[in-house]
Amino acid sequence: MSKEYDVCIIGSGAGGGPVALTLAKAGYSVLILEKGPWFTEKDFYKDELACCRRSVYTPKLSDEQHVIEDLDSDGSWLGTPTSDSGWDFWNGNLVGGSSNLMSGFFYRLKPEDFRLLSEFGPIKGANVVDWPISYDDLEPYYTLVETEVGVSGRFTDHPRAEPRSTTDFPYPATLEHPISGKFDQACRDLDLYSLPTPRAILSRIKDNRRSCEYSGYCGSYGCSSGAKGSSRAALLDQAVATGNCEIKALCKVYKLTSDNSGKVVSAEYYDGKENKKSITAKLYVVACQAIETSRLLLSSSGPKHPGGLANNSAQVGKNLLFSAGGAGSGDFDYSAMGSQESAAMKRRGPFVNRGLQDWYFIDDPTLGGRVKGGTVDFLLRHPNAMSKAMNAKWDNNDKLVWGRALQKQLKSIFTENQTLRYEIFCDWLPTDDCFVSLDNEVKDKWGSPVAKVRIGYHQHDLEIGHYINERSMKVLTKMGATNVRSSISGAPPANLVAGGCRFGHDPETSVLNADCRAHDVENLYVTDGSFMPTGGSVPYTWTIYANAFRVAEQIKKALG
Amino acid sequence: MSDHVTISRREFMVRMSLLGSMALAYPSTALAELRQSNADHPLPVWVEEPVWKTIAQVQETLFPAGEDIPGAGDIGAVLYLHKAIENPHADGEDKDYIFRGIGWLDELTQQRYTKNYLQLTAPQKQKIIEETVQTTAGRKWVSLMLTYILEALLAEPVYGGNPDGIGWAWLEHQPGYPTPAADKTWDQLQLRRS
Repeated sequence: MSKEYDVCIIGSGAGGGPVALTLAKAGYSVLILEKGPWFTEKDFYKDELACCRRSVYTPKLSDEQHVIEDLDSDGSWLGTPTSDSGWDFWNGNLVGGSSNLMSGFFYRLKPEDFRLLSEFGPIKGANVVDWPISYDDLEPYYTLVETEVGVSGRFTDHPRAEPRSTTDFPYPATLEHPISGKFDQACRDLDLYSLPTPRAILSRIKDNRRSCEYSGYCGSYGCSSGAKGSSRAALLDQAVATGNCEIKALCKVYKLTSDNSGKVVSAEYYDGKENKKSITAKLYVVACQAIETSRLLLSSSGPKHPGGLANNSAQVGKNLLFSAGGAGSGDFDYSAMGSQESAAMKRRGPFVNRGLQDWYFIDDPTLGGRVKGGTVDFLLRHPNAMSKAMNAKWDNNDKLVWGRALQKQLKSIFTENQTLRYEIFCDWLPTDDCFVSLDNEVKDKWGSPVAKVRIGYHQHDLEIGHYINERSMKVLTKMGATNVRSSISGAPPANLVAGGCRFGHDPETSVLNADCRAHDVENLYVTDGSFMPTGGSVPYTWTIYANAFRVAEQIKKALG
Repeated sequence: MSDHVTISRREFMVRMSLLGSMALAYPSTALAELRQSNADHPLPVWVEEPVWKTIAQVQETLFPAGEDIPGAGDIGAVLYLHKAIENPHADGEDKDYIFRGIGWLDELTQQRYTKNYLQLTAPQKQKIIEETVQTTAGRKWVSLMLTYILEALLAEPVYGGNPDGIGWAWLEHQPGYPTPAADKTWDQLQLRRS
């Protein structure tokens, strides 16, 4: 007879890890079902082929994919399977999820982000709401993440600083690149506040995790030192060590079965050998990252849930969020520097660790008064050599470049300058044009319908993006950058995704209650980024971690 | 956890200085030494098969050697490509397309010169490639050939190209660390997905 667990968690990323650790530490038996393989520090190398050019951390699109619905030239929605387009929406299917592969720049939300509607008023065409909890409810868990996951940084009491219950970060800031000093000077000249960026990367040893080794290859790569605060390195290894947490890798859950009372009674999955299996637990936690969480619930109809689990108000999958904004960059030519400065600028390893939140709130009549803005994070161009080289294959007229011309271009791209980039994070307003449903035709390799994702955006997102971008470009120019270029678009960044199962007080307009328990399923919780009704203007991971720690306490109470 | 090995500061500094010396080694003697070493090591016999010989010569046209520039032969482009597309875990479509392209190229050279590609002079080889990229299919094929050449130039040496990191050294590129051992290459790791 198979074992009955207290809790079955589906997905092992930032939403699953805190729940597993909290409950395992409290003595509950926890099972995690993770679709991907279990890699450890011994499997992570700075190998661009493995990280970024072959399907090692994500499925082959021919096996598992999405259908992306975008507006065509006639203004109607057109679905394209990602195996046709190559536009990959997977972010990391492995134990620890995509937190293994993040860059780890960590920002908290601000108190105003929890009450966007009351603070800034409604926006036509956007489903803006207040959260059912406040910043104060989450603050202790943001602080807990700083110590449990390991956040390094340097607190400065800047004009946009959110309230903290501790004076500073538990780990000092990671080493910083010489270009950060140049950035600071430009900000002083422009009367902007250069904000040190906190990172979920250890700047010194913590338990069995080593400090950062400053290889310079961080985002998109698994961390071989354990310094990066992935759910796996920071939380799951500890959870397993309690003896109360079991992780089954390569187990793909395709359905949660519910009974006549509406409760979940089992999780159905394929094991690594493609056998159909079933597991029972008292309570189920779904944390598969926003798109797949909605897909699993929609695929799990039952006697009390004819349209999918927790979907009796037809809210599952709705109000999906990405992150709005865009990116820009500028070059710093070595030929314009002395040898000492160019050697400093060429350094690889230390982090830029700088951001701007001067436009997190904008009070400007040209935008119609006080509106929500966003964050700008600055970073060096990604060190991946092959992706850089591939850009050299095509000239500005889209003609193929080869032979000596290609070699000359390569030499120029690689050796003539350093590039500083920035990324703008703005609220992706929730709208009726951005949601997850099940595709009627395309199926995965197990025969289940894949998620269809409509990716419409609100025009307001672009206006805010452009406003911040114009000002961000001036920072690069002030620093002396040449070839400053940027792009603001409504294309969703697939790695910054949340929403789809928003939490709220009203079961008619939300999927989850304030504790992230499904309104109409008493033993089902969702703890990834799906709960977020609005996204804030920072990367999501810290908030997902914090909220999952918060919900874990509620689950503990529910288990008794 | 016993899997974690503490890295000492000394070891860290040694690693950093190795990376530094790799970048500094170019171009003084590194390329000359590599060419000598390549000459001393015979290539596998399959390289003499006409199709692979043609591929190698196309690669050299697309990425020619110069006095200070590593060419396709120097960077082991044909060895890399062979290993990459003969890999049972590789994308079979690329292999089919590369061989089909070689077929088209032969047809074209026969039409233009009543010779095969291997018999052409260097300027004729250039011209044939220039003509090939005029069509969509030809452009796609040359682009694919270039993709594998650039991978050979910059991938970890364990994959068969970029001997002694010559591509990194030429482009003053500082690779990351640790680098993968033979049992931790992408295809070995991918096996663990099933």
